[in-house]
Amino acid sequence: MATRTVEVATGVPGLSAERAVTWPKRTKARLSNGLEVVLAEAHSIPKFHGELFFRSGNAAVAERAPGLAEMTATVVRTGTAKRASRQIEEDLRRIGADLSSSAGADTSAISFAGLSEFAEPLLGLVNELAREAAFPEAEFERERRQKLEEVKLERTQPGFLASERLRKVLFGAHPYAQVSPSEEQVAAYKREDLQTVYRESYTPENGLMLLVGDFDSQAMLKSVEKVFGAWSGKKPGAKATANPANPRGRRVYLVHVPGAVQTQILAGCHAITRKHPDWVKLGLTNSLYGGAFNSRLVMNIREDKGYTYSPRSGVNALRQHGYFSVSAAVRNDVVAASLTEIFYEMDKLRSLPVPAAELADAQNYLSGVFSMGLATQEGLLSQLSTVALNELPDDYLETYRAKVRALSPEDLLATARKYLDSANMQIVVVGDRAQIESQAALFGELETYDAQGKRMD
Amino acid sequence: MKQLQLGIESTTLANGLKVVIAPDTTAPVVTVGVYYKIGFRLEPQGRSGFAHLFEHMMFQGSANAPKMQHIKLINSSGGVLNGSTSYDVTNYYEAVPSNALERVLWLEADRMRALKVDDENLKNQRDVVKEEVRVNVMNQPYGGFPWLDMPPVAFRNWANAHNFYGDFADLDAAALSDVQAFFKTYYVPNNAVLLLLGDVKAEEGIALAKKYFGDLPAGAAPPFADPSEPEQTEERRGNVEEKFGTLPAMAIGYALPKRRTTDWCAMALLDQALHGGRAGRMHREFVLEKQIAVEADGGIDDLFGYNGPTQMTTRILHKPEFSSEATVAAFDAVIREVQEHGITEDELEQLKVKWRSDYYATLEGGRGGYMPKYGLMHLLACFTLFDNEPQLVNTILDGFLAVTREEIQAAAKKYLRKEKRAIVFRTPVKASAKEAA
Repeated sequence: MATRTVEVATGVPGLSAERAVTWPKRTKARLSNGLEVVLAEAHSIPKFHGELFFRSGNAAVAERAPGLAEMTATVVRTGTAKRASRQIEEDLRRIGADLSSSAGADTSAISFAGLSEFAEPLLGLVNELAREAAFPEAEFERERRQKLEEVKLERTQPGFLASERLRKVLFGAHPYAQVSPSEEQVAAYKREDLQTVYRESYTPENGLMLLVGDFDSQAMLKSVEKVFGAWSGKKPGAKATANPANPRGRRVYLVHVPGAVQTQILAGCHAITRKHPDWVKLGLTNSLYGGAFNSRLVMNIREDKGYTYSPRSGVNALRQHGYFSVSAAVRNDVVAASLTEIFYEMDKLRSLPVPAAELADAQNYLSGVFSMGLATQEGLLSQLSTVALNELPDDYLETYRAKVRALSPEDLLATARKYLDSANMQIVVVGDRAQIESQAALFGELETYDAQGKRMD
Repeated sequence: MKQLQLGIESTTLANGLKVVIAPDTTAPVVTVGVYYKIGFRLEPQGRSGFAHLFEHMMFQGSANAPKMQHIKLINSSGGVLNGSTSYDVTNYYEAVPSNALERVLWLEADRMRALKVDDENLKNQRDVVKEEVRVNVMNQPYGGFPWLDMPPVAFRNWANAHNFYGDFADLDAAALSDVQAFFKTYYVPNNAVLLLLGDVKAEEGIALAKKYFGDLPAGAAPPFADPSEPEQTEERRGNVEEKFGTLPAMAIGYALPKRRTTDWCAMALLDQALHGGRAGRMHREFVLEKQIAVEADGGIDDLFGYNGPTQMTTRILHKPEFSSEATVAAFDAVIREVQEHGITEDELEQLKVKWRSDYYATLEGGRGGYMPKYGLMHLLACFTLFDNEPQLVNTILDGFLAVTREEIQAAAKKYLRKEKRAIVFRTPVKASAKEAA
C-alpha cells in the first residue's frame, strides 16, 4: 500500500498582499411584537433574499409524529385566508419571486427571493403565509399523498438510508434520531395536528427575519415594521429532552440493498454544537481530515487509490448536539480497504502533530473560503443565519479568520483526540449484503437491516 | 425597472486565446475560468465518456505542477476549484482571494502548455470516474434519467446519441496516447477563452493574461465533426429499466430551434409557461390538479450553454395507478391547450418578470453554494466561444422580453409536434414484476 511521493511544483508565483475583508454593516432590530430582524445591504443585483425562521422544527414536535413540522411547512404555502394555492403561485411569478417553506430538525423557515422593486408585495405574501395559512383540506390531502410517495422513494436512495441509520444509532431516543416519517406515520398525519404546530411555532416571538440585498436598510426596516408589526404571538414552551447516550465501541450497521453496484459508507460519532468553544478547532481539523479537496482522506482514497469519487467529512451542527461524520461511496470490493484508510487517517491525526506547512495551508483554505460568503446575496444570507440562529457573538464574521489562524499543531492534536473518536465510530454501510458483509464485519459487531429499517439478523 | 449594465472588457491574444474580464470589487475574491470549446458531444467515436475522463486528467499534473499540486496550490491559497464537462464546452474554474490571482493564472497556463501525466494517473482517474458513474447513475434510483436515457432514443447522429458518461469498455480502452492526442487537438489557446471576474481591474487582467498565456503557441484550428441531425419525421420511443425506484417515469423531449432566433426566445418563454416551477402548467396539471404525478418538471437544460441539437424535455414520475398511455394523453392535453389557445397576456407578463428575475439570479449565482459568479462566467464563456460576443450578457434579455403571445402560440404549433418528439419510459423492475404476476 505504498503511497507515491508527492512532488512539488516549480516556479509558482507567490501570493501578493491580502486585501482586507470587510463584512457589510448589519442592521439589527426587534419589533415590539418580539420579531427579531437582521438586515444587510448587498447591491450586486437588483434583487434581495430573505428568510423568516421560526426556532422550532421537527425535533420540537417529534413526540407527536416525525416530520410533522416539515409537513406543516409544506402545507403552509398551499393557501391563506385570502389566496388559494394557484393564486399564490401566480402572484409569486407576477413579482418575479421564488419562495419555499420547509423545516429541519431545529427550525421551520419560509425562504424567499425576489426583485427589489417588488419587495413589499413579497413581504406581504410572506406575512400572509406566516399568519393566515388556511390549511385547505384538499391541499392537505394532496400533500399527504405526495409525501407518501416521497417517503417510499427516499428508501431507494443509498445516501438517505445511510444517514437515516446513522442518526438512529447516534441519537437513540432523542428526537434527532428521526430524519423522516414512515408510510404509516404519514398516513396518520391529521390536518388539525399541523394547525396546532403552526399556531404554536409560527409566532413573532419565535421568529427571526433575515434580509440581504439591494435595498436601503432603514427603508426596508420600515417596510418590515409596516407589514409584520401587527402580528402577535408567544414563544412556544420549550421542553427539555434527555441527552442521548453516546454509543461506545465501534459497531457496524449494514443496510441491505440487493443488487447495489457500490457501497455507501457513512461513519460518525458525537461531537459539538456551533456554540462550543472548540468549534473553530474542529472545523480546521475536519478540513485537514476530509473537509477539503486537498485533505488527507481525499488525497488517499481518491487521488492515490481510486476507491471513490466523492469522499468527505463534516461536522453536523444540530442545535442541541453536533456529530462528526465521514462518508464515501466506494467500489464493492474495497469496502474493507476504504474503512482501513478512513481510520488510518483519523488515527494519524490523533497521533502525530500536523506539520506546520500543512497547517498553514489548511488555515489559508478555511479563512479564504469563509470570505467567499461575502460575494453573493445568498452566501451572505447563509453566513448571517448561522450567526443569528446559533446566537453567536456579533463579531463572529469579523473574528473568525483570526481565530483560525491562531491555532497550533498542538491544538489540532488535542482536538482530533477529543472529537475524531475513532474507537467509538458507528459505521453504516449500505450495499449488497453478499458482497460486503464479511468485509464490514472486520470493523465491529455487525447488525443488518433492510431498506425499510427492519432488523434482518 | 432597473437596467443592468455590466462592465465587460475583452480582447484576443496573438495566439488566439480570448480573454474576457468582468471587474467587480464587492468582495476581495476573483473567479477565474478557462473554457475549452470541446465537450462530450464531439469526443472521438469509440471513446464515449472520453471528454469527461480527460477533464479529470487535467488535474493530474502539468508541465511544472505535478499531480496533486493544482488542488493543493488552490486550496492552500484560500480558494476552491473544479471542472465540468458538458455538451459543447469543458470548463476549469477557481475562486480565490484576489491576492492569489497570479498563482491561478500560472497554474491554468501551465496546464494549457503541457499535460504531464502517466499510465498510473490514467488508471487512477478511470477508477474515480467509474465510481462517479456508479454514485450518480448506476446505484441511484432514476440515475441518469433522462439526460443519459434520452439521447440514444431521440438522436441519430452518434455525436448527439452516445453515452456521454462513457461505456465502461470505452473508458477501459482509453490510452495515454488518446489523452495526449485529445490535448494536442482541442486544448490549444485558439480554442479557449480565459475569464476573470471580480476583484481585478480590466487593464491589470489583460496584462496578466499576456504575461502568463502570451507565449503559448497557437495550434491548428481543431477539426469538429458535424453534429447536425437528419430531419425527424416520426415520434421515437424507447424503454429503460428502473432498478431501484418504484414509480414509473417518462421523459418527453422536443427538438429546439436554432439558438438566438426569435423562435428560440419564444420557446424559452413557452418552456417557462410549461415548466416554471409550481406555477408552470405541467406541475399544475400533473401534480396539483389532476394528481397523476409526484414530479412533473423539466425544461431546456442550460439554454445558453449548448451549441448543437438539443431538446426541451418534460420529466414525469407518475403514480402506478395511471398507465403510461393515460399519462401521455394527459401530457398531450396540456400541449394541445397551449397550441389551440396560446397563453394569456397576464400569463406572459408574469413570465417576463420572472424571466428577468431569474436572469439576474443566474448572473450572480454561484455553483453548489460556493464559486461566486459561476453563472456570469458561464454566460460570458458561451457567448464568447459560440458567438464571439461577450457583450451579449447585457443585451440578450431584450429578445426574451419582446416575445409576443402570437409568437409563443406559433412556436407551440411549430415545435411541439408528435413527429418531432421522443419519449423514454423508465419502467421499474419491481412494479412490472407485480403487473406480470
